[in-house]
Amino acid sequence: MTSVAVGDETAMRRIGVTVNGTLQAGEVSVRLTLADFLRQDLKLTGTHLGCEHGVCGACTILLDGRAVRACLLLAVQVDGHSVTTVEGLAPSATVLHPLQEAFCAHHGLQCGFCTPGMLTTLVEFLKDCPDPSAEEVRVAISGNICRCTGYDSIVEATLSAAANMRDGS
Amino acid sequence: MDGRLNEPHLGRRHFLKGAGLLAISFSLSGAMPGLGRAAPAAPKLGPYGPAADELDSWIAIDTAGFATLYTGVCELGTGSHTALLQVMAEELDIAFDHAKLQPPDTNRTPDQFVSSGSRSIAYHAVPIRQAAAEARHALVAMAAEKFKVPAEQLVVENGVVSVTGAPGKHVSYGQLIGGRQFDLKVTGAVKPKDPSLHKIVGTPVHRIDIPGKVTGSFTFAQDVKVPGMLHGRVVRPPAHGASVIEIDESSIAHLPGVVKVVRKADLIGVVCHREEEAIEAARQLKVSWSAWADLPDMKDIHQKLREVPIYAPGIPAKYPGGVIAKDGDVESALTGAAKAIKATYESPYHLHGSIGPSCAVADVRPDGVTIWSATQTAYGLREAAAKFLGLANDKVRLIFAEGAGCYGQNGADDVVIDALVLSQAVGKPVRVQWMRADETGWETYKTARVTDVRGGLDADGKIVAWESNAWGFSGYSRPEYHEPKQGGEPGSLVTAQLAGWTTPGLEEGFNGIALESAPYYTVGSKHVVFNYLGPASHRQGPIRMRVGSMRGVGSPDNVFMVESFIDELAAAAGADPVEFRLKHLSDPRTIAVVKAATERAGWQPRPAHSASAENGDIRTGRGIALFGGGKETRIASIFEVEVNRKSGAIRVKKVTVAHDCGLIVNPDGVRNQIEGGVIQGISRGLMEEVTFDRSRVTSLDWASYPIITFPDVPDEIDIVLLNRPDLPAAGVGEASTKNVWAGIANAVFDATGVRLRRLPFTPERFKEALAKQA
Ligand code: FES
Ligand code: FES
Repeated sequence: MTSVAVGDETAMRRIGVTVNGTLQAGEVSVRLTLADFLRQDLKLTGTHLGCEHGVCGACTILLDGRAVRACLLLAVQVDGHSVTTVEGLAPSATVLHPLQEAFCAHHGLQCGFCTPGMLTTLVEFLKDCPDPSAEEVRVAISGNICRCTGYDSIVEATLSAAANMRDGS
Repeated sequence: MDGRLNEPHLGRRHFLKGAGLLAISFSLSGAMPGLGRAAPAAPKLGPYGPAADELDSWIAIDTAGFATLYTGVCELGTGSHTALLQVMAEELDIAFDHAKLQPPDTNRTPDQFVSSGSRSIAYHAVPIRQAAAEARHALVAMAAEKFKVPAEQLVVENGVVSVTGAPGKHVSYGQLIGGRQFDLKVTGAVKPKDPSLHKIVGTPVHRIDIPGKVTGSFTFAQDVKVPGMLHGRVVRPPAHGASVIEIDESSIAHLPGVVKVVRKADLIGVVCHREEEAIEAARQLKVSWSAWADLPDMKDIHQKLREVPIYAPGIPAKYPGGVIAKDGDVESALTGAAKAIKATYESPYHLHGSIGPSCAVADVRPDGVTIWSATQTAYGLREAAAKFLGLANDKVRLIFAEGAGCYGQNGADDVVIDALVLSQAVGKPVRVQWMRADETGWETYKTARVTDVRGGLDADGKIVAWESNAWGFSGYSRPEYHEPKQGGEPGSLVTAQLAGWTTPGLEEGFNGIALESAPYYTVGSKHVVFNYLGPASHRQGPIRMRVGSMRGVGSPDNVFMVESFIDELAAAAGADPVEFRLKHLSDPRTIAVVKAATERAGWQPRPAHSASAENGDIRTGRGIALFGGGKETRIASIFEVEVNRKSGAIRVKKVTVAHDCGLIVNPDGVRNQIEGGVIQGISRGLMEEVTFDRSRVTSLDWASYPIITFPDVPDEIDIVLLNRPDLPAAGVGEASTKNVWAGIANAVFDATGVRLRRLPFTPERFKEALAKQA
């Protein structure tokens, strides 16, 4: 299956994607978004859909370590790449990622619907900027909307996670 | 999700096995109780679920000593379930990690009416505390019997009852009752603990839902899956009042996965095998609709509100004509006043704006119906669904699944009707999720409002007259009554209206919308009127914009009016806004929050807009706004703002909040709620406005309805909590939003001398007000 007719709503293509460390291979519709692929086909419902047009940030995942919006990508576009979702952030089933720990300790969420996108965005951010100021954290998540507006606790949690990660490394 | 949950009438015995499945969300926070341990048998089900006067309806203890709380309270993302568990664990004297919770399910949990954000703890903890106190009492009696000692000789710690002074004589709750029922009535005869003995209530325990929410394993309503489930999407009219003329099914014949196009009156949906197929089919389905363009011109909305006839049937008998307070003769007091002023305050429709669009799964079968959905009213929604389908209550089971934070009534109840219609049409379980535009275009809004106020001062600067006249639609379009009435009606749900349902919905709107419109100050003669315009929806009413309750219902608008006008009176009197307020306050708790806030913020007395040595474009100012009285929460907040006179941009830099909500159950939870309320209030005050043309709402996405993002969040929110362990816990979720708009307007006045009376305070509005003043 090499070429896809324009406007063909039923075309399928075979893809192979590493998701949270596991290779997932199968046939998908060429129109399927990455978000729907994760949520429906892989049952990884931690990736949330808030707007389905790239504005809210709830669906943010890591693509080869970079934070991107899964609602704006097609599953076929990530063929051969590596995806990390919120389910893949914790190093093991019993140990949380320091950011997850800090979100628990600092109540970094209220309803939690925006949280997966906040976490994935911040994981990328802390890699690039391990010792951020509160202001830098605010800028880093300025593209993620939280209607419950636990914004301040998110900043607090992030600063504490960053400190722990620096100590731990 | 396990197929067994799909059976409409599971007994409670089965539930505890199933619980592990629903509770994957807790996998990192420890195992769920009851897995493999014997659980008590199911309680009797009445028309409103397990009977509230049966102890076993509320609490079950398993053999390992884990207690499960069965609550009808819906978690709205505010931590209320955690707080309710604190209350149960406290009264039972068990460790907090031995307290587990069964969320609302009409087959398993008692009816606890409407879980509105602020009432969850204040009001819903009462029966839970009582049931837990009685359960403890019964357990202690069992131990007394076992050891043949008087109950007074027994102490309970962490679920173990011990005989004082007799080491080795102890028995655990699990041994006493594990897996069996209490078989007792809740009598009210046992007195709950004295608050001074609280060990768990009042402490910042970690929320039980957070671990699952940070790992992605938590099951939101949007994540519910049942075997054989199909996917639906809806196609809404392009104009609020439009009707279907024709559906061209051939327009989607080329699309994969389409199972059925469904129509019930003007409710249109598509059912497909996969979700993305349903999205595409709904997008491409050609429907021709009748023309409709009867909305008022948006710029005239406040004038139109004044012209809508009063909705007399909805006004409670104790407020004839919508008069909320009347004392003395305002007219002659105004004539005799040394100074009289007047003002008009206006606000737009607001969106709840949940981040996750509403979603429900319905499985309509010949032998019974199961629904999974978010809601604030599990039993009311169940009854509304049953009536809509023409079924008896006990043929329908509603299982609550948490949605994204809702801040009032969003589309969660409505989408259930969509799911029922689509499931019934295909005979399979169908999951319907609204698209972003369905949510923003068809959820309920906070009503637009207009209020005229007049007031007078005597020569000493004391208020001698206060008159206000407010106009607004209902704050209620829920499917359920508040206590003590029970029952539900589908009539207020816009989806039921689309589907041709004509029996009216419930009408309880006046109290909520008029809340806090009477001044809590001593004002001499007063006359406070709320011109109630009744319910309204996209499909019904004199202005077809759908209204419903949003965080605080009418309070934020009413407090905006009261707290802006008191500030205008203070300015007219040439007085410091805090001193002026204190002079007219008598409630000691309100005075205490004012003092706490001003001390914390370092407030120096001076009249507003009197200190300005600033003369550039950037001006700074401070403003206070408060409210409270009766059984309600008291709050006083000080807002510090920066205004760019040239661009019109307003930034809130710091907010100091003093908050007294009676007994504090979980201080961390309270702080979070206050912070969220303040920031959401700032967002609504500075930028939010639902826009519409003559046919429909036009602010359908986050670009056309911007809400606050990080850069606009204040640098600091400083919170002082005044704990009153001797008083009942009052509301938290709503209070901190109520005084935000006035606080900002008062601070902007201090900074610039410009009085903002129309929300939202966008740069354009500021510049308009500045130009008007010049
Ligand atoms: S759902 Fe992808 S950005 Fe909103
Ligand atoms: S926590 Fe609810 S949207 Fe962010």
